[in-house]
Amino acid sequence: MNGLRNLVDRPWARWALGAVIAIILLVLPLSATEFTNQTITRIAVFAVAVLGLNIVMGYTGQVSLGHIFFVGVGAYCAIIPIRALWGGSIAEGAIVIGFALAIIIPGIVGLIVALAAVRLRGLALAMITIALPIIGVPIAKRFSDITGGNEGVSVRRLDYVASDGQTYKGNPFSAPAWSGLADDQWQYYLVMIIAAALFGLAFFLVRGKYGRAFAIVKANESVAASMGISPYRYKVLAFTIASMYGGAAGFLYIVALQYTSSETLSFGHSIELVIATIVGGAGSIVGSILGGAVYVLVPQITNAISPESTTVVQGIVILLVLFLLPGGLASLPRVLARRFRRARGGHNVDSSNSTEPAIENTENTKH
Amino acid sequence: MNSFGTFVQLVVDGLAQGSIYAALALAIVLVHQATGLINFAQGGMAVLGSYIGMTVGNLVVPVNLILGVLVGVIVAVAASFAIGAFIERFVMRRFQGGEEDTKVVATIGLLTLITGAIGMIWGFNFIPYPFFFNTSTSFTVAGIAISLWSLTTFLTIVALMAVLQLLFTKTKMGLGLRAVADNPGSSALSGIRVGRMLMVGWGLAAALGTIAGILLAAKAQLNPGNFDAILVYALAAVIIGGLSSPIGAVVAALGIAVLENLAGTFLPWIGHDLKIAVPFVLLFVILLLRPQGLFGRKSVVRV
Repeated sequence: MNGLRNLVDRPWARWALGAVIAIILLVLPLSATEFTNQTITRIAVFAVAVLGLNIVMGYTGQVSLGHIFFVGVGAYCAIIPIRALWGGSIAEGAIVIGFALAIIIPGIVGLIVALAAVRLRGLALAMITIALPIIGVPIAKRFSDITGGNEGVSVRRLDYVASDGQTYKGNPFSAPAWSGLADDQWQYYLVMIIAAALFGLAFFLVRGKYGRAFAIVKANESVAASMGISPYRYKVLAFTIASMYGGAAGFLYIVALQYTSSETLSFGHSIELVIATIVGGAGSIVGSILGGAVYVLVPQITNAISPESTTVVQGIVILLVLFLLPGGLASLPRVLARRFRRARGGHNVDSSNSTEPAIENTENTKH
Repeated sequence: MNSFGTFVQLVVDGLAQGSIYAALALAIVLVHQATGLINFAQGGMAVLGSYIGMTVGNLVVPVNLILGVLVGVIVAVAASFAIGAFIERFVMRRFQGGEEDTKVVATIGLLTLITGAIGMIWGFNFIPYPFFFNTSTSFTVAGIAISLWSLTTFLTIVALMAVLQLLFTKTKMGLGLRAVADNPGSSALSGIRVGRMLMVGWGLAAALGTIAGILLAAKAQLNPGNFDAILVYALAAVIIGGLSSPIGAVVAALGIAVLENLAGTFLPWIGHDLKIAVPFVLLFVILLLRPQGLFGRKSVVRV
């Protein structure tokens, strides 16, 4: 397995793997079934949500249990202006307005929450954010004339006035005639392009100056403060960016489903999102994509086998991952490679192994 | 009824509801003092204990109601003590000394597992809980109707807190528990069995939560999600009262419940559905003005 491991470590091999996956994702929707396309679209939507949670939880070490609240708020902020404005004098511009609001408003809400919640060290953020979905659902129900309450709001068959002055029914996210695509393919590409851009931004964020500051805040707040990095400021920043990613995921949710309700931001979904983030791999870009897949696929699979077992399975999965694979699914190739090498009894002395003792030490202290 | 009568009645009902929040908040503080972590599964464990109590109690209820309820309560408390100790020993201890966020996610995993298991075994519907008396009974004092359930709940929780206080200050085990909470390393060196004390701490917290769970179920019936919202109130109380102060948490829990009851009735815009937002508005104001909580101590961190 050593050969494979070395291959995984080579940058060009990773880029090649990434390129192959990108090409597959680009070509796949043209031949796949509608269900497959919609499932992959939803995975991309929730991968963005998990990525946001990862920025605050995986990279900055601050547990947020209410991230789904920002997804839900983003979904409302996207769908409400689209419903009100689409097809009128500003036509498709309504979608752009929806996208902008879906990022700005959750960002502002996140900033306000963080300014208060981050003042306490440790777990206060988790203790406060757990309340967001529990407060969010009754608020959404209270304003049911704009949020639709339990029934929700949909733009699948939206009345709009076309340029000829007539009223038609239409879906803002159905494929335009010039594209020659089916609706599911159009929504797939739209979501994928935006998600890829958001992942690219996050990639540079976590590897740049801010990412290093987040990592120091996560490792040791006192050290961060002594180096002139204000833990308070960077935690607020991380939480605000995470909220904006949550809001963006809410917009993509509307692109994918053209519908949202108070159920979208429920407490249960919030917990599922946290579980998906850890199972996918905290503090990892690849882990965020895997987390999106976990969020969408695990309930789909358990619902097919036995619907009442969904919650139990999620509880068991998360505890097993914490026990056996603390780095989540994203760390699986590395862990497997190490197991295989150890099984062969070989002690390689090439330079790529120099970090091994450190990793094993930290694992031993956890047990 | 005049508005003063309404006011007094709301305060009394608020104190009863608040004592349920207080019991859960106290359980959370108990675990936090012993192990430094926030147990987000505390509410789920309380509900699980209540279901066990209901199931066993219902076996005896056809023979004698009072005896059945009593057996149910005793079995529930014993079972949840055992479950709490078991979870500490076989799940949480593995994460002791690890990162804080891992521990939080572990308790979240426990919450999910417990809620899911309850749903699989007992279903997701509301189930009535057999109780000593009809919980809608009330009596009138000076023109103010006081619910018998409110009075019983309040007095039970107050009595439990007195017992816990005695346990912690007057017994050898209480001394051991406090020593472990204060300094596990030194405690181990002076012969205290730290692991066992942690298990006792978790067990006591679980048992306390279960009694609150049963009192709530007696009035509002039993449902896997019974404590989801109450956990949020309890956490708010713990933050407002200060994580290091059991009395602060209890006072804050009672205050929150009374305040939200009054706000829900006297501010029509808030109403019954939005009163859960009341403690959080309060919490935000307090966090901005006094981050260590109303009763907490400011702690200095040494590097």
